[in-house]
Amino acid sequence: MDLDIAYSRETDNLRRLASVLAPFQPYPRGAPPGLPFLWDAETLRRGLNFTLTTTLGDIDVLGEISGGGTYEDLLPHTFVVRVFGVECRCLGLRRLIQVKRAAGRPKDFEVVAELEAILEERGGEGVEPS
Amino acid sequence: MAETDDLPRDPVIEAYKKDVDRTLIRENLRRTPEERLRNLFALQRAAEELRRAGREARRR
Repeated sequence: MDLDIAYSRETDNLRRLASVLAPFQPYPRGAPPGLPFLWDAETLRRGLNFTLTTTLGDIDVLGEISGGGTYEDLLPHTFVVRVFGVECRCLGLRRLIQVKRAAGRPKDFEVVAELEAILEERGGEGVEPS
Repeated sequence: MAETDDLPRDPVIEAYKKDVDRTLIRENLRRTPEERLRNLFALQRAAEELRRAGREARRR
């Protein structure tokens, strides 16, 4: 299991994101050890989507989501949930289903089926109460 | 699912949906997001411990 984070590519945010993850030793997932990988704002600026291992677990840092677009595109489809004393902005259920459908990956079929079942059980309501 | 413009029915997904455990979903929906996450973390720890025990058993 991993955590997907869609991030804004504004310069200040690249700096914030680089600095907040740096203590957790981000490194490209599946890459051989020992590569000269430098995790900083410049690396983020030059790249877009990063699949990382960290000491917290696997984290995908996404500048763009296939079928969903950028952080700014996704923002209107998000809601805020408070967990462990922290406010997290999450993608709403309906939009998440659309994004996963659009990606069209066979490995997601099971997940999409489960997400749609959740949507049905909620009576079609796709946004969590925040 | 009631078909809507933004989520038209997909026959492949509908086929997968037959295997979804809805009792588990209902149980989870009664919990707060934080409780759901705590359960997920506990499940992950258990899975990790099982994997570790499996590796240990194979080494013997």
